[in-house]
Amino acid sequence: MTTANKKELTIGVAMLGASIAYLVMAYRVPGHDGIDAATVPTLLAILLCLLGLLQTLSAFTRHAQAAESSSDTPDQPKPTVTEPLTVLKTLGLILLYVVLLGPVGFPIMTAIYLYLQFIVLTPVGHKIRHLLYVVIAVVTSGVIYLLFREAFDLLLPAGLLNF
Amino acid sequence: MLDLLQQGFGAVFSLNIMLLMLGGVAVGIVFGAVPGLSATMAVALCLPLTFTMGPQAGLSLLVALFVGATSGGLISAILLKIPGTPSSIATVFDGGPLMEQGLGVKALGVGIVFSFLGTIFSIIALMFIAPQLAKVALSFGPHEYFAIAVFSLTLIATLSAGSMVKGLFAGTLGIAVSTVGIAPVEAVRRFTFGVSELNGGFSMLTVMIGMFAVAEVIKLAETGRHAVRSKAGSVSMKDIKGFGFSLKEFRQELPNASRSGLIGLAVGILPGIGAGTSNLLSYIVAKKRAKQPETYGKGNIGGVVASETANNAGIGGAMMPLMTLGIPGDTTTAILLGGFLIHGIQPGPLLFISQGPLVYTIFAALLVASVMMLFMEFYGLRLFIKLLDVPKHILLPIILVLCVVGAFGLSSRLFDVWSILLFGVLGYGFVKAGMPVAPFIIGFILGPMAETNLRRGLMLSDGNFASFFTNPIAATFLGLALAFVLWQLYSAVRPRGGVLGQALRT
Repeated sequence: MTTANKKELTIGVAMLGASIAYLVMAYRVPGHDGIDAATVPTLLAILLCLLGLLQTLSAFTRHAQAAESSSDTPDQPKPTVTEPLTVLKTLGLILLYVVLLGPVGFPIMTAIYLYLQFIVLTPVGHKIRHLLYVVIAVVTSGVIYLLFREAFDLLLPAGLLNF
Repeated sequence: MLDLLQQGFGAVFSLNIMLLMLGGVAVGIVFGAVPGLSATMAVALCLPLTFTMGPQAGLSLLVALFVGATSGGLISAILLKIPGTPSSIATVFDGGPLMEQGLGVKALGVGIVFSFLGTIFSIIALMFIAPQLAKVALSFGPHEYFAIAVFSLTLIATLSAGSMVKGLFAGTLGIAVSTVGIAPVEAVRRFTFGVSELNGGFSMLTVMIGMFAVAEVIKLAETGRHAVRSKAGSVSMKDIKGFGFSLKEFRQELPNASRSGLIGLAVGILPGIGAGTSNLLSYIVAKKRAKQPETYGKGNIGGVVASETANNAGIGGAMMPLMTLGIPGDTTTAILLGGFLIHGIQPGPLLFISQGPLVYTIFAALLVASVMMLFMEFYGLRLFIKLLDVPKHILLPIILVLCVVGAFGLSSRLFDVWSILLFGVLGYGFVKAGMPVAPFIIGFILGPMAETNLRRGLMLSDGNFASFFTNPIAATFLGLALAFVLWQLYSAVRPRGGVLGQALRT
């Protein structure tokens, strides 16, 4: 099985998994006699399962086609470098930011998040300019907080800086 | 109509709103120009700014962003040879070669002027057609609305890029996510797991901010550190008269522009496909109809004219179903719908009766924003080129913070911030799986509309499904939806689709 097919299969299985989970939950919705609040979710769940199944099956049938086309096109575009680690770091940072947003507050957390995220996303070959990053992070955080507080009447969580 | 329009202009021509719109057009152009940022994002991020404004000021700002961002894509399409938005893909074909030949300013001038003409044309069409459509739509009942929602969903799910199975799955999943919360008609709680915040379902704006903006930041994390940054070419504005091209060239391109404008408008009205399709379609048609088709792709201004007129003509087109039926035609109008709702305005046929002056304020704002776009984009070009160089690793984290602010601002609760994170991860998953996002969004928005009207329709006819097929308008739309799926299946089985099919699929 080619890598492309394996990917399509994984996608199909993920689709099927989500569909079945929704089907189970739709079944637990009270009702199920005649047309009621459970009707549309049940119909949707069945449709989702069918589509998930189609995708899973197509991963097998496309096997022959994919193999043929890969031999026709030897000059594929250069693969872009992907970094799952950077994605995980970014997700972790965002998660941390949201978790601590309430208790620590918007101004402090935003400055910390921005500073760390700038570092994580700095392109390879670029110098990490700590001082500049800190300045941008603190200024951005402060400007957004005050702008929304004073001009747009939106009170972002102040947290520790509750003055 | 004229006195209503006069009132509209009266409202827009206040210092406060004019300044807001100037800012809106400028920010919009930047969002359109920087690859990776989009009109949808621009509107989503600026929404929290409008919370405390009145509907007139707020909506004027949002449409200014919309107009600016739709046009801004041409800057990077010509200077960087990367389309800033999908709606400027065809601009690259001829804009890029023109830039290489040292005619960058001419390409930009042509692009901007015809963007402007396309926008104006479509807004005038909107002003004449929309009130008539609204009159027709007034007589629509649940059967018709259900059928139109199903039709729109089918269109967007089957026409999105990639496989039809994935498109349909994305659309259905969108409806499934919209069923979270209290059900219409008998108010049963569904899929809330006892979480009280889920009673109202996920907010439309958190879904969109997550899927478009948060997912974009995660996407950058994956490849951004190794991306090769292309330098924007420089253009000299010295010795430039007018907009950099002659009156003769302008006259020569008028037939091409009118044709492209009509294509852009018609494609824009259809739900599901918009400027991303019409610019390619009108480019293909312009090339076929040209006297020397071989010069296209080598730096013929006709290519830029076709693409830019068509994508901007989509603005008026996409606003039509939004304002008259409350159905967004694409993701940008979907988020505009969110903006309307935040200001307590329900788009639909009644809008023209209950909020007549406001409707014409929006029309006036669209017209004024186009004029602003024309001058700002051309004469402020060098400033916008500088902004193209703002590094992404600084820009995107700041955008994420603005997303958080926007989500929190919706109803001052952290639950919405968690929602954008959830949908951001889902949106990233969609990108990885090659699944189109647009059907999911439209499914999420139209799902409740389809379900509510299905239930109401069934109640009216005592649970009889046949009434959906005996109603002429509903039957037509349902029949069209079915025919469309069958046609798509047929062309998928056939080895090669026609030119039209290929253009629609890209």
